[in-house]
Amino acid sequence: MSKAEKITLTVTGLMMLAGLAAYGYQFKEGLIVTNMANPYSWGLYVSGLAFFVGNAAGGLVLSSLIYLFGVKSLKPFAKLGALAAFANVTAAMLSILPDIGQPLRALNVLFHPQLLSPLVWDVAVLNLYAVLSLIYLYILMLPELKGPLAKIAIKVDNPEEFSEKWAKRLAPFSLIAAVGIHVITAWIFATQGAREWWNTAILAPDFVAVAMASGTALVFIVSIFVYGAKEEYQPAYRIMALIMAIATFVHIFFMYNDFFIHIWYGNQESLDTLAVTLKEYAGVHAFEVLAPLVAVILLLSKKVRQSAFAVVACCSLLVLGVFAHRYLLMPAAFERVPLTLHPLGIQHGEWSAAIASGRYSPHGDTFVTKWDYFPSGIEFTVFLGVVAFVCFLLIVAIRTLPIVKEAK
Amino acid sequence: MKRGMVIDLEKCIGCRSCAVACKSHNAQPAGTWWNRVLTPGSEYHAVPPEAGMEYFLPIHCQHCENAPCEKVCPVGATYSTEDGEVLVDYERCIGCRYCMAACPYGVRQFNWQDPKKSMDQYQYSADYYPGNPRDFRLKGRLVYTLKRPKGIVEKCNFCVQYRAQGLDPACVRACPGKARFVGDLDDPKSEVSRMIRRRNGFNLLPDKGTKPTVYYLPPSRKEL
Repeated sequence: MSKAEKITLTVTGLMMLAGLAAYGYQFKEGLIVTNMANPYSWGLYVSGLAFFVGNAAGGLVLSSLIYLFGVKSLKPFAKLGALAAFANVTAAMLSILPDIGQPLRALNVLFHPQLLSPLVWDVAVLNLYAVLSLIYLYILMLPELKGPLAKIAIKVDNPEEFSEKWAKRLAPFSLIAAVGIHVITAWIFATQGAREWWNTAILAPDFVAVAMASGTALVFIVSIFVYGAKEEYQPAYRIMALIMAIATFVHIFFMYNDFFIHIWYGNQESLDTLAVTLKEYAGVHAFEVLAPLVAVILLLSKKVRQSAFAVVACCSLLVLGVFAHRYLLMPAAFERVPLTLHPLGIQHGEWSAAIASGRYSPHGDTFVTKWDYFPSGIEFTVFLGVVAFVCFLLIVAIRTLPIVKEAK
Repeated sequence: MKRGMVIDLEKCIGCRSCAVACKSHNAQPAGTWWNRVLTPGSEYHAVPPEAGMEYFLPIHCQHCENAPCEKVCPVGATYSTEDGEVLVDYERCIGCRYCMAACPYGVRQFNWQDPKKSMDQYQYSADYYPGNPRDFRLKGRLVYTLKRPKGIVEKCNFCVQYRAQGLDPACVRACPGKARFVGDLDDPKSEVSRMIRRRNGFNLLPDKGTKPTVYYLPPSRKEL
């Protein structure tokens, strides 16, 4: 293990401990330690769910390309993909757990599931996907489970053949499960008629597009750390860059297509909703669009792909842009209260019905029509703890399991 | 039987007695208001809007027939009774707040901290414990309790604990203007059905398709 890895493990380990401590504090005090309030009832934690679910797409992209579409050059990365998928889908669940006000009752989802709720579907599909990606990883590693790891290997006559056969058989299912996690996570939001910002049919397809971009970017980063930017891997890297570029273009098209339709029709409620993202959060919006766009355009150049540093920089830029995109899921949905009226006898008047904020503030109003939210230190610490968990898990797994193809 | 409410905006004087009675009877934690009364078109309550006329709008849970909060609840903590009351089971709720995202009326409220602490924060006097002290269970489910656990969502429960005693909700009984009426919406001959028909009763956000069982009667004028 290199010195850089040791430092990373220490730092991420400490970040995880800090996250855990922050969560412990929140567990004791309640969600009052976040900056959420009744009008703004979901924040960074739920954005984190959408973010990590998107990042978990890498496994599917690679395995389906390899085993369904026969792209052989990607084969050395299949295990990395499955591992990244597992790490991120687990992180998605870890990210949503602190959002639960009564964590000790979380198992009610198993004991008393209410089957109309998209949240129940999401819990089911995320767990299924986590299990599937683990099985996938195991099957792919099977031929190389030797030495001390031989204990966990199932006995088959020809491990190579077995592994290949079952990887192929599982590929269609993992593809369905992987598309499923994005679609169902999007449905949590898109089904809600109360929130103009989410209530659009484009959200689920857009979640798939964003996931293809960020999931692949994540595998790309890990691949560079593990294999470097060597010439023999360049054909595979070209395919990854292409997937990211196409997915990003599709995502931006989906997004602006939706904006355009609403702006053209000019319903005041839609315009007010869009104004939150396009005006109030103009800087963040510019970043969520430009960062991924610049990243994928640069990655289309072979020269960029040959520099390990440039690849990591571009992919990180894309992932950060996607994070900004996920963050922006909330402001336009929650900043303004959804109950707006046209008061009787007032021409052209839109008026918001204030609601109790539920939080004490010595000088603030009890009833508010607008709530400005920025995550609290506790929320950031918990969220960064989950990010650290992903890095930690990836490094430990890569170093202890036969995930990386040995150099010949 | 579909239990519904009619609020006559002509009679509402904006005194917020309903909100106060509701808060006290139902032991709402500091900062939590199941019931609120607003002045449409104005930035302040009880101050006439710059244009138009002044009237008052009480808002609480609309007890929707097609309740989005009920449909999103992953554990069935929010549920409808046979008579159409939408209730929250305080022992079942996991506090995911999906219902708060789903409700277009902004009537759902979360216990961000232990209610005892928020009472201290608001500097309620230490011996002030408003509310009906007895828990109330409807077919075994805890739908009213004085001691709210932190981390759960609550909202208007149509005073089901009083209904069991044959009483109207606290807001109805406390309204000095007698602006609130409860009755059977399924019965065309009931007083509430007749009022809705004759006085052009309307719902809030009908286009959201939530089918509220709370109806409002438009005001014709308001004395200042």
